[in-house]
Amino acid sequence: MKRLFFACLAVLAWASVGHAEGPLQDILQEHRALIEKPSRKTISPAIDDIAASGLDQAQRMLQAWEAKNLWQRTEDGLFYIGTTSGDALTLIDVDTGEELPETDKSAADQLKPNAGVRRLISSALVQFQLSDPNETRRLEALESIARRPEESHLAPLQASIEGEENRAIRARKERLVKLLSIAFADTPQAQIEAIEGVSGDLNLEVRAALNPLLATTRKVSDVIPAGENVAHVMRLGEDISRDEAYAALVEAGYATKRLTPAAIKDILAANIVDGQVGGVPVADLDTPEARDEAYRALAAAGTVPPFVSAEEVDEKLRTHVIYDAYNEPNGDVTKAAQSALKAIDLNVGLNQAADLGLDALSLASIYFLAAIGLAITFGVMGVINMAHGEFIMMGAYTGYVVQQVIPNHTLSLVVALPLAFVITFAAGVAMERLVIRKLYHRPLETLLATFGISIALQQLAKNIFGTQARPLTAPGWLDGAWVLNDVVSISYIRIAIFVLALCFLFLFLFIMKKTRLGLETRAVTQNPRMASSMGINPDKVNMLTFGLGSGIAGIAGVAIGLFAKVTSELGNDYIVQSFMTVVVGGVGNIWGTLAGAAMIGTLQKGIEWLNPSNTLAAQTFMIIFIIIFIQFRPRGIVALKGRAAGD
Amino acid sequence: MGKSFLKNHPTMLVFLALLALFTLAITVFSEAYGSGLVSTSFVKTLGKTLCLCLVAIAMDVIWGYAGILSLGHFAFFGLGGYMIGMWLMYERTKEVVLRSLENQTIPPTETEISDAIATQIFGVVGSSDFPLIWSFAHSLTLQLILVVAVPGILALIFGWLAFRSRVTGVYLSILTQAMTLALALYLFQNDSGLRGNNGLSGLQNLPHVTAPQSEISMWFLWASAAALGFGYVFFTMMLSGKFGMVVKGIRDNEQRVRFLGYEVEHYKLFLFTVTAIVAAVAGALYYPQAGIINPAEIMPIASIYLAVWVAIGGRGRLYGAVIGAAFVSLLSTWFTGGQAPDIPLGFYTISWVDWWQVLLGVSFVLVTLYAPKGIGGLFDLLKRKEVQK
Amino acid sequence: MSTLLEVSGVSVSFDGFKAINNLSFQIGKAELRAVIGPNGAGKTTFMDIITGKTKPDEGRVIWGDRSISLLGMSEAKIAQEGVCRKFQKPTVFEDQSVRDNLMMALKRGRSVWDVLKYRPGADNARLEQLADEIGLLSEFSRPSGELSHGQKQWLEIGMLLAQDPQLLLVDEPAAGMTPAEREHTTNLLVEAAKTRAVVVVEHDMEFIRRLNCKVTVLHEGSVLAEGSLDHVTSNQEVIDVYLGR
Repeated sequence: MKRLFFACLAVLAWASVGHAEGPLQDILQEHRALIEKPSRKTISPAIDDIAASGLDQAQRMLQAWEAKNLWQRTEDGLFYIGTTSGDALTLIDVDTGEELPETDKSAADQLKPNAGVRRLISSALVQFQLSDPNETRRLEALESIARRPEESHLAPLQASIEGEENRAIRARKERLVKLLSIAFADTPQAQIEAIEGVSGDLNLEVRAALNPLLATTRKVSDVIPAGENVAHVMRLGEDISRDEAYAALVEAGYATKRLTPAAIKDILAANIVDGQVGGVPVADLDTPEARDEAYRALAAAGTVPPFVSAEEVDEKLRTHVIYDAYNEPNGDVTKAAQSALKAIDLNVGLNQAADLGLDALSLASIYFLAAIGLAITFGVMGVINMAHGEFIMMGAYTGYVVQQVIPNHTLSLVVALPLAFVITFAAGVAMERLVIRKLYHRPLETLLATFGISIALQQLAKNIFGTQARPLTAPGWLDGAWVLNDVVSISYIRIAIFVLALCFLFLFLFIMKKTRLGLETRAVTQNPRMASSMGINPDKVNMLTFGLGSGIAGIAGVAIGLFAKVTSELGNDYIVQSFMTVVVGGVGNIWGTLAGAAMIGTLQKGIEWLNPSNTLAAQTFMIIFIIIFIQFRPRGIVALKGRAAGD
Repeated sequence: MGKSFLKNHPTMLVFLALLALFTLAITVFSEAYGSGLVSTSFVKTLGKTLCLCLVAIAMDVIWGYAGILSLGHFAFFGLGGYMIGMWLMYERTKEVVLRSLENQTIPPTETEISDAIATQIFGVVGSSDFPLIWSFAHSLTLQLILVVAVPGILALIFGWLAFRSRVTGVYLSILTQAMTLALALYLFQNDSGLRGNNGLSGLQNLPHVTAPQSEISMWFLWASAAALGFGYVFFTMMLSGKFGMVVKGIRDNEQRVRFLGYEVEHYKLFLFTVTAIVAAVAGALYYPQAGIINPAEIMPIASIYLAVWVAIGGRGRLYGAVIGAAFVSLLSTWFTGGQAPDIPLGFYTISWVDWWQVLLGVSFVLVTLYAPKGIGGLFDLLKRKEVQK
Repeated sequence: MSTLLEVSGVSVSFDGFKAINNLSFQIGKAELRAVIGPNGAGKTTFMDIITGKTKPDEGRVIWGDRSISLLGMSEAKIAQEGVCRKFQKPTVFEDQSVRDNLMMALKRGRSVWDVLKYRPGADNARLEQLADEIGLLSEFSRPSGELSHGQKQWLEIGMLLAQDPQLLLVDEPAAGMTPAEREHTTNLLVEAAKTRAVVVVEHDMEFIRRLNCKVTVLHEGSVLAEGSLDHVTSNQEVIDVYLGR
């Protein structure tokens, strides 16, 4: 009662006088010297006291300080939150939030803490933000902790879980506590418990939290001191080269520096006397042995630092041990971290395999799309079309041109797909009538003539569209990726291409099995003379089949253009792979093309995975593999046998 | 070579005479040994063209005579160039390095020299060590053996794999194209040991030779002409007898030849390898004149152009290949070099640098369709007219 | 009469269709044999197996005095052993002269090296004699593409003779010939069969009657009947097969 009375009295007194200081101001004044000239090394006590005061107004004050909005009035040294407009300054009381009458800027000094100090302030602010009524603020605070976890965060984080009502945020907080405990829990037992709790977790944050525990330092010693948490003892010649090991010894002060050959040479050059160095004629100094000898002579005379011989190096290396020691002294913790990471690695590996599978699948569907038109013309008609790649290119450019006319990406795509089909279909029909029809049964000539067309088309595209890549932008709903977890994801564009490839597979099967054209095509393929005697016009069938194959290439071009650069050389990048797909799969069979695409796609991704830095090597090895594969299955994966296969 | 052999091959004699005359004429008009009417750079162009004619002959033998449309012979050509290029670049760099180390007070050690050379050559691909494949680069003899051995062995292995699995026709073409692509892509890598896409450069400088380029270019022209002449005689002799009959038989009906008891695969493999080696020799003469070789040179497109030359010149006759290669490659140099006059159409100006490829592609289609015998077919027409008279 | 070629228990199938089904066949060293059968009986496939073009799924093909197996040998090796084949369609090398065609067929070293060092002109006498035998001496230097259909058939038979084979497989030699040419062909084959084995596959009964030899009837990939022509044509099964097809 008595205290309440005094308190009331105090409040009254403060209200009436208006100059008495509040509790926060008191704390600030206590650390006045520190706050006036803050440095990252010394400021901690002040910030800690402010944060520990538990005062609500402390948050506002710290935020102002961090934002360089804290001012100190010159006349009495009191701290205020200030807002300026022009030269006018409005000061706000740190405790009450009451605005003082406007004054001039010169009446107070602005406090400008440096970045290091601001970082400390912001981490002190975290505990306030963690319980902020605004959910966004709380989430921001959590993200800032996740980005830069510190020991001081652990306690406020734990404390804030209790009152958290939002389930998502609560879960996030609990997770962060776990991660922080890995590094900062009080006892090793708590740490180990936290580590075991995250074993096998795929999240990147987990790996980021575990990895620092396993950080090592290279150390050199004559004998490993007791209590050292050794990660690995270096073996000469396996983990570490002789030169590196000796350099480590020198750096640790266990050995004298050995001069590099270049340094020895410089010293020798500086000590030439009468055309001789240490009794060796200069002209003879063109072998390492002679130079060593000359240097030894100089060293014996005492003019240069002593020579470290190879034997001495060996001796030093024999008597010393070089090892990596964990920075974390507790062996159980590192062991737990290691096994947790191992479990994670295994899990990551499995997921990477799944991811790789998805990648391979999408690559396979691209190859399938690119090759299906070729499979029709090559497989069904026995015609090699070297200009197939250029039809793909034409499709991609059609997509680009349509996009210039129709700015809406979705609509332009809807228009471009059939338009590309129509254009390349027409080009294919024209080519069949003008060139290929005249060269049936002369496959090598067909190959060359279509190659001529390919050169001409490529240059024509270059003349029209220039050499630089043209953009063909995917509609917004195809941006982004379907993310399963931190390891497995697949972009929507690739899913769309996969779906497109499936559509074409079924379309092809439908045309071949259920339509008149398919029936006639099969008839002409198997026996053209018989077919024509039954009223089928083989010329017409061939023309339509060729048109169909070319048209599909056009559509594939639009699809490929969505993720690849549209240039006049677009076709080149796909033509060899397309041929390989058809040849490996087996000619004359759509399932063969599918199998070929799957094999080549998987193979390429697999090799890229083994040697990720080098896609060129991947392609080289893939082609070599295919050449060898053809040794064992010359007719492809799905082979027609017997006399029907022809010779 | 008997008298009857010479009598039976009048075209060969005419060809050799024309080749000799051509070489003599260029020598007489050259800057180094003559009136200077022909510039050194044009001498180089002509020398290079002779090498292209030689590889075209090889292509004609494998395609025109044996019916194997190889899209890999320009890769062998390029490999030959790489092999000789390694020696040229090593020796030349060594010369430069030795000169720069000369002024040092202390003579350099062997290791220092080789390190300096390696840094000089491989600095562009971020390495300073000699890859294993450069082990022989210091010796001209060994590297000359490699000019023949490396493409030869590659052709032997590839051909053995391809022919024994009875890959023929367009399949074989596609497979050779794949081989060429694989080789080119491999060489494009920085760690292929051959300087990635930088390729080998400065090959026009002969080490230890102080003669001016005008003279060196003439030497190479002579060497190229001699190689072309030898190649022409070599293939004529080889194909004139029973061997030529079997080879043409394989082209026309492989199965029939097989049932006659000939191991068709051996013949194909032999021809594939021999022509690959001739192509490599041509390449080894070509690139010192070009001065630079990089992997882009041996992309499949180059091998396809080779087929284009032979087709335009006329398959199945050696002089046809020579005419095709010389005609198209010189024309191509003329058009793409910007020397051909542009054609203004008022609304659009046809610039040949841009349109030459289109013209080449279209004319190639037309030749395939309407003149399968190529330019060489004209000679048949002339001959027939003479007979009619 | 000792056996030259013995085919036993051979089967081969293409995509489930049995082209040859447990076929057995024998022929002696100097024997003329006609093989007949309806379309799809497996006549051509039978020849393909002997000459190494098709590998059978099971069975044995035993050859010659040394009883070696022809399975697993290449076509060229089998040809070098002395098995020669004439195709249904005359296949001569049309760009090359009659002389060149015969020279290629002549029994000499077949390796690349042998052929490279071969001296043209060394065998001129033998070649002219061969051309005379097949009645083409007057066309000796003409490109064979310019010959008539019958002349091409003879040239091909001449090429077979030039190889000096032990077994001749002849596929429909009389197809498209005039009666006069047929007679010439019959004589050539009968003459050849005096010193070697000859198997003739033919549709034309008249032609076979003139050959006057043992006949093997194939049906659905196996041997239906064997014996003289009169014997097999009176066989009820054979009649059924021919009429019922």
